[in-house]
Amino acid sequence: MQGSSGIGYGLKYQGRCISDVRADTDHTSFITGTLSLREENEVHLIRLSSSGTELICEGLFSHPNEIWDLASCPFDQRIFSTVFSTGESYGAAIWQIPELYGQLNSPQLERVASLDAHVGKINCVLWCPSGRHDKLISIDDENIFLWTLDCSKKAAQVQSKQSSGLLHYLSGGAWDPHDINAVATTCESSVQFWDLRTMKKTNTIERAHIRNANYDMKKNHILVTAEDESGIHIWDLRKPKSPVRELPGHTHWTWAVTCNPEYDGLILSAGTDSTVNLWMAPTSAEDEATSESIAESATQQADPLLNSYSDYEDSVYGLAWSNREPWIFASLSYDGRVVVESVKPFLSRK
Amino acid sequence: MVEREKTRTDDVPLDDKAKRMRDLLSSFYNPDHSSAPKPPSDYENLDAINSTSFDPDHYMNVLVQKSNLEGLLRRHVEMAAEIKNLDTDLQMLVYENYNKFISATDAIKWMKSNIVGMQADMEQLLDKIMSVQSRSDGVNTSLFEKREHIEKLHRTRNLLRKVQFIYDLPARLSKCIKSEAYADAVKFYIGAMPIFKAYGDSSFQDCKGASEEAIVTVVKNLQAKLFSDSESIQARAEAAVLLKQLDFPVHSLQAKLLEKLEQSLGDLQLKTVRIENILRESNDPSKQGKPFESIPSTGHEVSVHGFAEAIRAYRVIFPDSESQLIKLAQNLVIKHFEMIKQCVKRRISSANFLGALRTIWTDVLLMDEVLSEASLADFSLEAGQVTVKKYVASTFTYLLQDISDALLKVKVSPKEEAEEHALKLALEASKKAVLQGSMDLLLDFRQLLDDDLGLLVKLREFIVDWVQKGFQDFFRALDDRFLLLSGRKNPSSQDQGLSEGAPGEKVLVGIVLVLAQLSVFFEQTTIPRISEEIAASFSGDGARGYENEHAFASGEIRQIFRSAAEKLLHHYINMRTQRVSTLLRKRFTTPNWVKHKEPREVHMFVDLFVQELRAVQSEVKQILPVGLMRKHHRSDSNGSTNSSRSNALLDDRMTQKGRSQLLETHLAKLFKQKVEIFTKVESTQESVETTIVKLCLKSLQEFVRLKTFNRSGFQQIQLDVQFLRTILREIIEVEDAIDFLLDEVIVAASERCFDPVPLEPPILDKLVQVKLARSKEQSK
Repeated sequence: MQGSSGIGYGLKYQGRCISDVRADTDHTSFITGTLSLREENEVHLIRLSSSGTELICEGLFSHPNEIWDLASCPFDQRIFSTVFSTGESYGAAIWQIPELYGQLNSPQLERVASLDAHVGKINCVLWCPSGRHDKLISIDDENIFLWTLDCSKKAAQVQSKQSSGLLHYLSGGAWDPHDINAVATTCESSVQFWDLRTMKKTNTIERAHIRNANYDMKKNHILVTAEDESGIHIWDLRKPKSPVRELPGHTHWTWAVTCNPEYDGLILSAGTDSTVNLWMAPTSAEDEATSESIAESATQQADPLLNSYSDYEDSVYGLAWSNREPWIFASLSYDGRVVVESVKPFLSRK
Repeated sequence: MVEREKTRTDDVPLDDKAKRMRDLLSSFYNPDHSSAPKPPSDYENLDAINSTSFDPDHYMNVLVQKSNLEGLLRRHVEMAAEIKNLDTDLQMLVYENYNKFISATDAIKWMKSNIVGMQADMEQLLDKIMSVQSRSDGVNTSLFEKREHIEKLHRTRNLLRKVQFIYDLPARLSKCIKSEAYADAVKFYIGAMPIFKAYGDSSFQDCKGASEEAIVTVVKNLQAKLFSDSESIQARAEAAVLLKQLDFPVHSLQAKLLEKLEQSLGDLQLKTVRIENILRESNDPSKQGKPFESIPSTGHEVSVHGFAEAIRAYRVIFPDSESQLIKLAQNLVIKHFEMIKQCVKRRISSANFLGALRTIWTDVLLMDEVLSEASLADFSLEAGQVTVKKYVASTFTYLLQDISDALLKVKVSPKEEAEEHALKLALEASKKAVLQGSMDLLLDFRQLLDDDLGLLVKLREFIVDWVQKGFQDFFRALDDRFLLLSGRKNPSSQDQGLSEGAPGEKVLVGIVLVLAQLSVFFEQTTIPRISEEIAASFSGDGARGYENEHAFASGEIRQIFRSAAEKLLHHYINMRTQRVSTLLRKRFTTPNWVKHKEPREVHMFVDLFVQELRAVQSEVKQILPVGLMRKHHRSDSNGSTNSSRSNALLDDRMTQKGRSQLLETHLAKLFKQKVEIFTKVESTQESVETTIVKLCLKSLQEFVRLKTFNRSGFQQIQLDVQFLRTILREIIEVEDAIDFLLDEVIVAASERCFDPVPLEPPILDKLVQVKLARSKEQSK
């Protein structure tokens, strides 16, 4: 079963990031970009055929630099953001896929706006997860920027900016889907939580080497983090002292985690051991007091690992659930292979 | 209907004739026919002929309708015979009647003739009776006066006698007191009581006073008797009864006596305390032996005997005081067990524990004899159950403590000791602690089981249960303790250790490995042995055995430890790789790789990495067994040729890369299919070492991938990796996977490089050689 169900698609070069095109309600599509220092980089718009057996390249656009991060706009399927690097310096921009791109020979991406207030290494650009909202967040090593984007005027303006503080090198972040004003950022030694209205820290989880964080889409206060060596942790933000639940993660680093937008407790993780793991780790809000013991007994009862997709030949960095068909996810391994899998067989078991 | 039914059933034994006779007779003498009316509907019944409501026509109709000719004929014959019979019967009756009438007439005639002469005799008799009566009246009147007098005299005499008695009472009482015939004294006094009550205030005042005085003495004496232990119980009981008769407030006496009993109980306890003290002392290994059993327990026995006797006496004296006594006795038992519980807290050997139990049990038996209603045996059984259970539990706790002590000792001491062996010692010590400890434990419990003490015999099944459950729980607790010690359960402290890299941390890391290996040892050796032992001597008695949910499930426990061993091993590897990761992270985040200067020497992070590896190796060598993997020992010449070959290959690949990345990637894929990087970790030296190296190299690759390099930066990486490749060969068994990963690091660096021109092999070799020479110098 392993790997055989996946539908593959090859990028020309290596790649790190893939994003679900959420605004496309008619098709299940993903957008991904290549990471090649010396070659011409590309952005691929991929669509899952209606039969669900094929990945079709819907659009192929050249991108000026290697892409380190890519995120699709949640309300306009033609807009996305990238973080790119020339090797020496970083930049972030909002792009628009040109209309009628199918008819053009070599369509060029329109640059809607440049998020050019950054100095250091830019880590990621976040779109507000809750629908039409003209705010953007970009995170570099030391600062968080809150941008106001005006697509029609093709301009983005810094609304506010906050330094993460001394010795906190930010590495990424996540926007709370339940609270438009809450953002979590990861840095070397902790996860920090920000209130965007005041740009003040509201909370921290002290935890080293968190590589990725993702909010539970269905449940408030639940955050999932991936750590280099020590696997995956599920946190209840009201109790930041210790995790609600622990999952073993991957043999090597756990690079990315993402919660399913629809199914409660369904978590995907991608690792540098060239596997993608599917977990079922429901956390119930009621039994907070005894959650630890319950979690413990639960792990003894049922293996939270539903499946391990190991049909990859290099580390997997890119991971995205489809919002349209929430049982489908796309993964991107470093060698530029996109694999789209359906987790349906594991859902029916529940 | 019912009645008829009944008669019919009654009729069965009678013959027809007799029955009819009876009916006829009854109808004759009891002409009230209504009493037995026959239901009119019952025509077909032949008996209905006899009823008054019999309708012959209807009967005939029915008969004719219902019967055939034959039947009718038969019926006719029957009826004719019946009629004949009836005629004879009637004749006989008439005859008998007549006969009786004649005899009655005769009797009447005879009576008439007899009565005529009687009148004269009767009158004569009356006269005589009258004369007798008048004479008797005369005698009566003449004697009346004298009799009156005599009666009066008699009454006076009685009165006088009573008075005499009362006047004599004090003297008599004192005489009784003198002769200690208290029973008589009390009897006399009680006899005189009514009189004293009636006339005590007037005529017999003195007398009353004197006798009351005497009675006070009696009471006093009786009390003394009651309280004196030297008196026989019988006498004391009598005294109590007498006192009660005297309306003396016996309850207060009872209370007083009870108090005395309680006091003696207190004394007893004091004595037991002393026993326990001795017991404790004997627990000292230096004074080990059995002195406590001989000397103090005899003293104890005597006192308990005394107490039992006292209780017996008390019971006889106050038969209605059981409940209090029961309470008292139970109190004694409770106190005893409390004492033992105290001792159990202090960790005593099973022999001592047994001794103490035995003492209690003998006491209990003694008391039981005296006071069987208290069901002390059951009571103490309950208490004993609790105590033994506690004992078993606490023994396990101590064992657990022993083991963690054995482990922690290493944690504390290694600084003075040669570090080389610290972990090994810890492993051996804790292995021994567990095995020896649990065997000793089993031995101890066997003693409990084999003892023929009544209490323990009754508890035997429970003990078997507890021991099995105890082991079960013990191992679970041990598992927990291991996790705790390994720091898995305490993530905050773990993190701290990581970020600070405190010197104590190192030992802790080693401990994790020790724990892992210890778990393996448990799974493979200890638990099978214990379960064997348990099966041999602690199996439940047949029926209980298999349905017992507390049974020691060795399979389950082994499973727990198998997974614990795995977890701990992974944890160890994790902790080790984390340290290297921190190292690598620092290495890669600090410099600006795009503006790197030309490589001059191997970067020191390689040294640190190697140092970590050596530390791992020393720990692993102490603890883990040598793996059964291929074991060709490296020889220096072999190693160097190997490395140069892979160098050539690498160079090839890199020049290719310059030209076509696609082709390169495909090639890489081809390569990768052959190499499975992350294989299952085994609990052997080689497996653990290579796993750690592989994980670290993979991390190195990932760090490299996140950076962008200029040519010099790339060359630096190349140099570092080249040196690492050489030095790794000296340290550990290098698998294909490790070689491959080293290549991958360079590939990753070249991919992330603007201008991937590798160092010339001679320069590379030279730099590596320089570094090797230097490191050798240092190690010398």
